[in-house]
Amino acid sequence: MKTLSILSTKLSAWGLHLIGRGGSMPGSIGCKVDANILSKLKFNGPVILVTGTNGKTSTANMITDLFEKAGYNVISNRKGDNLKAGIVTTLLTHAKLNGEIKANAVVLECDELNVRHILPFIPVTDFVVNNFFRDQLDRAREMEQLIDSIEKVLPAYRGRLILNANDPNVVRLNLVAKNASFSYFGMDENKYSVKTTKEASEGKFCPKCGARLEYSYYQYSHIGKFHCSKCDFQTPEMDICLKDIDLDKETFSSDGIHYKSPYEGMYSMYNCAVVLNVAKNYGISQDCVKSVFSHAPQPAGRNETFTSKEQTCILNLVKNPTGANEVMKVIEKDDSDKTIVIVLNDREQDGTDVSWIYDTFFEKIMKDSTKEIICTGLRANDMALRIYYGGYKGPLSVVDTLDIAVKAALATKRTTYAIATYTALLPTRNAIKKEMGL
Amino acid sequence: MKVVWMYHDIMDLYGDKGNMMVLKKRCLDRGIPFELDTCGIGEEKDLSEYDLIFLGGGADKEQISLIPDLLSRKENIKKAMDEKSFVLLICGGYQLFGQYYIAANNEKISGLQFYDYYTDTGKAGSRCIGNVVIDADLDGLKTRIVGFENHGGQTLNVTHPLGKVVKGCGNSFNAGYEGFYDGKILGTYLHGPLLPKNPEVADFVISKALQKRNPDFKYSDLKPLEDKFEKMAREAVFKKLEI
Repeated sequence: MKTLSILSTKLSAWGLHLIGRGGSMPGSIGCKVDANILSKLKFNGPVILVTGTNGKTSTANMITDLFEKAGYNVISNRKGDNLKAGIVTTLLTHAKLNGEIKANAVVLECDELNVRHILPFIPVTDFVVNNFFRDQLDRAREMEQLIDSIEKVLPAYRGRLILNANDPNVVRLNLVAKNASFSYFGMDENKYSVKTTKEASEGKFCPKCGARLEYSYYQYSHIGKFHCSKCDFQTPEMDICLKDIDLDKETFSSDGIHYKSPYEGMYSMYNCAVVLNVAKNYGISQDCVKSVFSHAPQPAGRNETFTSKEQTCILNLVKNPTGANEVMKVIEKDDSDKTIVIVLNDREQDGTDVSWIYDTFFEKIMKDSTKEIICTGLRANDMALRIYYGGYKGPLSVVDTLDIAVKAALATKRTTYAIATYTALLPTRNAIKKEMGL
Repeated sequence: MKVVWMYHDIMDLYGDKGNMMVLKKRCLDRGIPFELDTCGIGEEKDLSEYDLIFLGGGADKEQISLIPDLLSRKENIKKAMDEKSFVLLICGGYQLFGQYYIAANNEKISGLQFYDYYTDTGKAGSRCIGNVVIDADLDGLKTRIVGFENHGGQTLNVTHPLGKVVKGCGNSFNAGYEGFYDGKILGTYLHGPLLPKNPEVADFVISKALQKRNPDFKYSDLKPLEDKFEKMAREAVFKKLEI
């Protein structure tokens, strides 16, 4: 069955490749032929599994680059998807018929709810958990249940857990992973740290004893240095602790060496901390790490900048309050006159519940330099209502057609910020390019 | 209008804070003074001094932490209700005014027991999730209410439902009815948040709250507002649900 499963996955992947498709279907076929196929594979070298609400893709991609630069032959699901079937596709299309994976390092990005389908079945050496935020709760249900699904498979895990020391919901995994070893990353107190916050919707209570958690400081959202008011649950000592944070220059240091982050914002530095943590564990040099950071590709819709002779337009993807709040901070930092166009969709991949816009501090962008806000997308009027009730005083309008909304925003000749949900990202980018003649 | 948002740092799920933004703006735009206060665990407050008491929804684990404090305020909340403070309850807050609720881990949590309704947990972790539309009659004000529900709890034995379900689940799977309204409290599973897309409900809540200090105040005394985006925002949901 194993050989047949691998063969059918390879064949269907090859067939789909010929017609220009790929993704999860070959893996689904492989699983149908042999439901236990994952446990029959043979791995050589490190197997890194990366999960968390935000930053999975950039983090996993940078770790893949890191091993490649260090001379490993790496396979990853960089192009595939991060659900079980996508991961099976990635593995089986790179397996010999006897089940041996043709690589000496494997890096897999994994959806949080799919960890339970992957972690117990392959010999993961390093399991990275970046953060847990509220994200599209209509699909993922309450975050608690999501963490629970991961906690259930951790007691048997014998590899290393690489955990964000500043996220109590991540650190709590050390309470159940009785057979694992631990490595922690995080960030030191810095000029951006705050003593109190309105942003944090998680991390209020100790996962061990239920008493209130207290924070010495917050970095963003509920990420920060915490300790329980009653028991010994607290931010653990870190193996990688970022210091000298400068968000304007996008630089930080670790173990006395200075680095430049490839991406904007504090949250991106946490992804860099993971890369440093993995590099340290595998004895990979700082030059490799620096090279990874300096060559990291700019992903679509993360401060993606379009420039023409007379104008700049910056496109950002938003998908949950935490990510969206970070986007708000980036826009807030820009004091120049601007027009903002927001594209809110409510399709399956966007999240059908749009209430998250009330958990996002759109107030940050409601300042004098924001000269106009245009809302479009399937739930444009919900977005306009949010801005209206947030107390925005400038011109606020709803435009039904995306192209016309983008055109109207760019016609103001001001710097334009476009904010789009997942399914709106590509159409918005196309509209911007068309309108700017790029 | 004086409002107290109980356990604001715990009971604020799925944008429930949006309800407070709506009440504030709709009052201030009409020249009605608006004061929002919060009341956390252990805080000394006389809830009967407020025109409106608000409780949102919370995650199971967090919600359990406030139960002892809430139950210790039972007499004070009863006094507030007797003295015509109006009560707006969303999701978890709604459940807590009933007999009890069963959490997802099967723990039985005692409620304030002001009403006979009680809340079981969905079978095998099932949840009512999705857009929801109900037709309600608020003291003669017939209004169609739109929102988003996301609850495992199945609320049963509801004697005075808020409205009839047009689309979605309501109090439980196939309940046919949603929420609870008896003139004193308005409880509902509707997030969205509830009030931005339902300006009639928002104004109704305002008029009920104002009646505490001005018993003759009527819904129709509220000056109409422009409501520029509300209608189309509602239409977008109706269109999606093919209503």
